[in-house]
Amino acid sequence: MRKTLSYLGERALLVLVSVIVLFPIVWMFLTAFKQSRDAYSVSLNFKPTLQNFVTVFSDPWNLGSMVLNSVIVATVTVAIAVPCATLAAYSFSRFRVKARKFLFFLILSTQFIPAVVIVLPFFLMFRQLDMLDTRLALIIVNLAIVTPFVIWMIKGFIDAIPTDSEEAAMIDGASRLRVIKDIVLPVAAPGIMTSSIFCFILTWNEFLFALILSRRDAVTLPVGLVSFRTEQGDLWELMSAAGVMITVPIFIMALFIQKHFTRGMTAGAVK
Amino acid sequence: MAEVRLVDIEKKYGNFLAVPQQSLTIEDGEFLVLLGPSGCGKTTTMRMIAGLEDITAGDIMIKGERVNDKPPKDRDIAMVFQNYGLYPHMTVRQNIEYPLKLRGVAKADRRKRAEETAAKVELDALLERRPSELSGGQRQRVALARAIVRTPSIFLMDEPLSNLDAKLRVTMRAELKHLHHELGVTTVYVTHDQMEAMTLANRVAVMREGRIVQLDTPKKIYAEPADLFVAGFIGSPSMNLIDGTVSGGVFRAEGVDVPIDMPDREGVVLGIRPEELEIAPGGAAFTGKLYALELTGDSTLVTLRAGKTSVCARGHADFEADINTDCHLAPKDGARFHLFDRASGERLI
Repeated sequence: MRKTLSYLGERALLVLVSVIVLFPIVWMFLTAFKQSRDAYSVSLNFKPTLQNFVTVFSDPWNLGSMVLNSVIVATVTVAIAVPCATLAAYSFSRFRVKARKFLFFLILSTQFIPAVVIVLPFFLMFRQLDMLDTRLALIIVNLAIVTPFVIWMIKGFIDAIPTDSEEAAMIDGASRLRVIKDIVLPVAAPGIMTSSIFCFILTWNEFLFALILSRRDAVTLPVGLVSFRTEQGDLWELMSAAGVMITVPIFIMALFIQKHFTRGMTAGAVK
Repeated sequence: MAEVRLVDIEKKYGNFLAVPQQSLTIEDGEFLVLLGPSGCGKTTTMRMIAGLEDITAGDIMIKGERVNDKPPKDRDIAMVFQNYGLYPHMTVRQNIEYPLKLRGVAKADRRKRAEETAAKVELDALLERRPSELSGGQRQRVALARAIVRTPSIFLMDEPLSNLDAKLRVTMRAELKHLHHELGVTTVYVTHDQMEAMTLANRVAVMREGRIVQLDTPKKIYAEPADLFVAGFIGSPSMNLIDGTVSGGVFRAEGVDVPIDMPDREGVVLGIRPEELEIAPGGAAFTGKLYALELTGDSTLVTLRAGKTSVCARGHADFEADINTDCHLAPKDGARFHLFDRASGERLI
């Protein structure tokens, strides 16, 4: 009896948490397909429309360019951050250099600084360099934000790989770089994949720097959402449609690489 | 084939001296075993030969060439690791082919040689499996196959049998012995198991605290241990080591009276192997109460105690007696007594 009660209590709690977490997402998805007059209605009885998605891609909203900006900024950031972070993580994991722990702490400590503190120096710097409102500026800023985090993550995965295989490869005739390519990367692939997803999500959702450093040409999707707060009020149906545009790629990505994701998260436990 | 010479090599980790300055020559085609307890520097010595550890001082010469600054890949060696060091994402075939691939051997040739080598270690039916799908013994054989596939000048083996069960260890030991006989490649083998060392080696280097304390054939090391440490380390069960004194040409300890041809001396240790003692009817060199009887199958280990003295002998399998009854042990004909200095461990006779 006590066991059943505890089971029921557990399930009830899980359902409650799920509802709290999922409600805003479900609400956003439903609103994206509603007409503006139904946006505030909680009723499920409405006539679905795709008009919101057409509207957000046309003038004056032009979500298309924001999608492109977000895709380019996130992809290029991942493409640069992950290989660099992998090599850095490997070095931190395998080489006994002086002040290694301090250097690693230094890299991690960049994550302790609140973004709002450094956004102004970044703004001034890019203004000086005439790089405001460019994708390159956003890529540089995002690299600075995510690379330390990815180094830390990938180092954990590399630490979990026994060094015997690497030493065996070196004796078999491989150079250090060949060892990384042939042994470390394939074995750490699930972890690197997981880190790449995190890196992509962080960059894709980055809001503060994009808000301050972009104005028209380099605006990304999260910043674009703000433009739906107009003098006529908040255009929830359009904001939701744009929200769907932001979340769907992440959902699809997560679905495709869920297997790697789980393997990556548990890599340390498998020998 | 190759001769390996370690000339005045030394290894320090910061201020810690792991391997003090010493030299060692491993002859061409020799099977040399580095034997010692954990932390004695045997693996470090091997890793220095492999190039996986830098040396602090001295020179390493392989085939007469100084290789101190050469990376492992250029030393023409193959190594078998304690944990096998297999490539977990590759199949058995890919694991065996990998050293050949790195040396630019054509795919067809690689395939052929991998299959031939796999057959040699009875892995031919498992070529498409991954290491995770193999047993410990099979993994060990993959590691061996990968080492022998390209016939290197030197084999380095770091406790390759220590992760196997006792039965498999004996089988693999015979395979290793046969393989060395067949290939004749210079082999350096690290182990803490004196039985492995005795059965496999042409010569054994017994190490203690980073230093080689005795380098000789297994037979010689067994018969004439250089010091107290080697005497206690080699042999199973280990040599009886009895604290006592020599006076009037007799070694004396509680329950022990053994004639010894040497001047009076205190603080000495008498050594005699259990297999050189036999049960005697009475009035023998070793007298005490029977403490334990352990049947090992082909023999019985008989332990007697007299005060602090404990002496073990290997008796007949069918020997039976009551515990705590009087027991007498005598040296067999031709038995050899060893005498060591207690303080320095140095061999006296």
